Amino acid sequence: MSETLTSYMHAAFNQKIQKQKIIWTSDYWLLGTVLALLILGLIMVGSASVSIAEKNIGEPFYYLWRQMMFAGIGLFAAFILVKVPMRVWQDLGPALVIVSLLGLLLVFIPGLGKNVNGSTRWIAVGSFGLQVSEFVKLFMILYLAGYLVRHIDAVRTTAAGFWRPLGLLMIVMVLLLLEPDFGAAAVLISTAVAMMWLGGVRVGQFMILITSVSGALALLVYTSTYRMQRLTGFMDPWDDPFNSGFQLTQALIAFGRGEWFGVGLGASVQKLFYLPEAHTDFLFAVLAEELGLFGVIAVIGLFSFLVFRILLIGRRAENRERPFAGYVAYGIGIWIGLQAFINIGVNMGVLPTKGLTLPFMSYGGSSILVMCIAVALLVRIDYETRKEDRIIQKGRKVYE
Amino acid sequence: MTEQVHKPSSRFRIGIVLVLVLTVPLALIVRAFDLHVTNKTFLQEQGDARALRSIPVAAHRGMIVDRHGEPLAVSTPVDSIWAQPQQYKATTRQLYNLAKLLDLKPQQIKKLIASKKQEGKEFVYLKRRINPSLAQKVIELEIPGLSIQREYRRYYPTGEVAAHVVGFTNVDDVGQEGIELAYDQWLKGTDGSQLVMKDRLGRVVKPVDLIKSPHAGKDLVLSIDRRLQYLTYRELKRAVFEHKAKSGSAVILDVKTGEILAMVNQPAFNPNNRADLQSYRYRNRVVTDTFEPGSTVKPFTVAAALESGKFKLSTVIDTSPGYMRVGKSVIRDIKNYGRMTLASVIEKSSNVGASKIALTIDPNNLVKVHQRIGFGDVTQSGLPGEVMGSLHQPRIWRDIERATLSYGYGLSVTTLQLARSYLVLASDGMLKPLSIELQTGHVEGESVISAKHTKQIREMLKGVVAQGGTGTKAAVPGFHVAGKTGTVKKVGKHGYSDDKYVSTFVGMVPADNPRLVMAITIHEPRGEHYYGGAVAAPVFSSVMVGALRLLDISPDKLPKKPATFAMLGGAQ
Repeated sequence: MSETLTSYMHAAFNQKIQKQKIIWTSDYWLLGTVLALLILGLIMVGSASVSIAEKNIGEPFYYLWRQMMFAGIGLFAAFILVKVPMRVWQDLGPALVIVSLLGLLLVFIPGLGKNVNGSTRWIAVGSFGLQVSEFVKLFMILYLAGYLVRHIDAVRTTAAGFWRPLGLLMIVMVLLLLEPDFGAAAVLISTAVAMMWLGGVRVGQFMILITSVSGALALLVYTSTYRMQRLTGFMDPWDDPFNSGFQLTQALIAFGRGEWFGVGLGASVQKLFYLPEAHTDFLFAVLAEELGLFGVIAVIGLFSFLVFRILLIGRRAENRERPFAGYVAYGIGIWIGLQAFINIGVNMGVLPTKGLTLPFMSYGGSSILVMCIAVALLVRIDYETRKEDRIIQKGRKVYE
Repeated sequence: MTEQVHKPSSRFRIGIVLVLVLTVPLALIVRAFDLHVTNKTFLQEQGDARALRSIPVAAHRGMIVDRHGEPLAVSTPVDSIWAQPQQYKATTRQLYNLAKLLDLKPQQIKKLIASKKQEGKEFVYLKRRINPSLAQKVIELEIPGLSIQREYRRYYPTGEVAAHVVGFTNVDDVGQEGIELAYDQWLKGTDGSQLVMKDRLGRVVKPVDLIKSPHAGKDLVLSIDRRLQYLTYRELKRAVFEHKAKSGSAVILDVKTGEILAMVNQPAFNPNNRADLQSYRYRNRVVTDTFEPGSTVKPFTVAAALESGKFKLSTVIDTSPGYMRVGKSVIRDIKNYGRMTLASVIEKSSNVGASKIALTIDPNNLVKVHQRIGFGDVTQSGLPGEVMGSLHQPRIWRDIERATLSYGYGLSVTTLQLARSYLVLASDGMLKPLSIELQTGHVEGESVISAKHTKQIREMLKGVVAQGGTGTKAAVPGFHVAGKTGTVKKVGKHGYSDDKYVSTFVGMVPADNPRLVMAITIHEPRGEHYYGGAVAAPVFSSVMVGALRLLDISPDKLPKKPATFAMLGGAQ
């Protein structure tokens, strides 16, 4: 594994061609959408966290500065990782699974794992907390894409080829549920199922998978009072608005206040300690209050367009016979879409409270970093597809 | 690398994914519309129920001004510092600074908040009514759970001078004494309420709406003249100090209207600083304290005598040998005045003379005169704590009771009642309601003594202040003064004491067409002098010299010399 990496490193730094034209021949729609979400996210994090930061830290822009720093780190990582060919990621797949499992286990080591609000999801790195599940989601997509490529025939024809990767996923899911991080587990399994679907799993097998996954998820909900409470709180938040329904009712009130064009940037009332986690999981509610239906539609539109664009990148890669890149793009697209829409759904009270961040927007270093890396992968995929396009065009010219 | 040709996913499969990717957002937008637009009223109501709170807005209390609009009591804005014990959180440094600003001990604040927190209280005052600029400094400490509340504090520009009349309010701006108490309903406004938005920690974020605007209280114009008030205050205080007296009261009335122009007591208090308030200091003795009026009622004994028809101005009463025995008691004059007219009985204040009159007439008629001039009845001044005094009317009169009643024992009056009774003499027999509020125009009274008799009595009272009378020290240069002195033994534990006196003087000026009536009562002078003519009369003189000039009342007793010169000049 490490041999491939070092050999790539040499290649990357020796071949000047690869350094050029990566950005200049990119998907500007994709980058523009991501940039718009990032900037809007920073604005909203700044607005939503002012009061909380002032009270907790004593410095109103504490969370904004940190988020900007995270975004900077993320972009820096993206600029470096964009140079890594997809081939390397494909080879790294199994290693990334091992890293994921190790990371998920490290969380449980006392002194290393950080517990916030009853969930142990973070590994303490200096003053930062690394949220392992964010990385795990990306790594598992990379692994699954590789698996699909390696065993495409088995996946499409046999039951074993289909169930084998799911076994591995189950182990990861169990670890995630132990944290507990039900949201990440749900997103991960749903993304995996969707990737399998696109990989060409037989419809019959797929139906069995869907029913068993839904059954498993339902079972998980019913066996945990914590999850059950969240679910009932979501069903009728006004039944018990000051306990189980508290967070949700406050979020819904934010929407109601927002009306068409919002109460104006910075003028949210709900962020004044009424809405817990206003700058993280419930950032969207603050956005809905301050920017109104107009802002809500804009953000949903941006995410929809982003997902569409990512799926397009995947489709083009697949058409250029780069299945790994294609599956990775599909995976990332579905992942971002799922996470965004689940988060928005939670904010609106159509889904139970999950503890999922809004990609590119919510406060959180790990989330921003991983999302930037994902975008770097997409840019890389797009770049490699375009390179292929050019070679084919040139070939045609030569042929003609 | 190219040996295996990849067969891409079918259009069907990617189509399904695309449809899902596009329908989910549409569903979300429908839901968003539902929340933002359809359910907004319900959601906003719910939000308001959580965030909107109504808080009181203090109303401005009406001003109290004197007859010329000079302020006697004004409300100035102050701030009170209060804490929410549940939210309060201060660092050691903040606590130290807070304690320093509020002039409290850090431990004190900590204890107070901790105890209230334990009781589950949500509100506790740390310090009330501090300077707004100081309150601002407290707020700048930015201690969570600390707020300010705008209130109004009463300020009394005249301080001690008008303290008893004006009274004062308590810390909640409710009248406690004097005018502040009597006119509380008039002065106090109605607090308004304001809707504010609060954050979840209970801090006010912004005002939303004024539910009820505060209605400021109404201003009140008193009949008091601040200049006369000050003059009276100064002279009374000087007299009380000079004669080492226990207390003193003085009141000036306007003859035409029955208005109270000045009302002063000693000892007094500073209403602006009531930290060392003792109850004996804030009694408005002019209306709350009664005493036996003594010789000051002799004019009314004479009035009863004239009314009885048994006495005329020329009637001669033999008071020799300067004392008389009535039952077991002996009534004395200072010296043997011999044969006296009614006028000289008043002038010299002869007890024997008065007693002889009283033993001649029906004592019930004398009591009736006392009743007619307002003794034993309210003055209608409206001042709180006013007492009526008492009149004694036994079914069977003993001679000693008849005699002593004639020179002012056996009944009790307030200084204000005494002043009012002289107002009857000053206004040709009219008993007028007294007023502490400004009156416009002439106030009619009820005729209780004939104008003829009052004029005759005024002439006699002029003699008191003239050469040879007991009240010469009440004389005012340029004016004829009519008045009467009184020196009363106080009732002690063992009957009338020999060393405790009430020295009084009641007078009016100008004597022929009186404009002002003033009564002065000084209790227990312990100096060299104790006679009313020596202790109380000088106060009348020194106050009236200033008062007549201030009120621009023309002198009625011009010096003769300039007139002579004029005549001579005319003759040339």
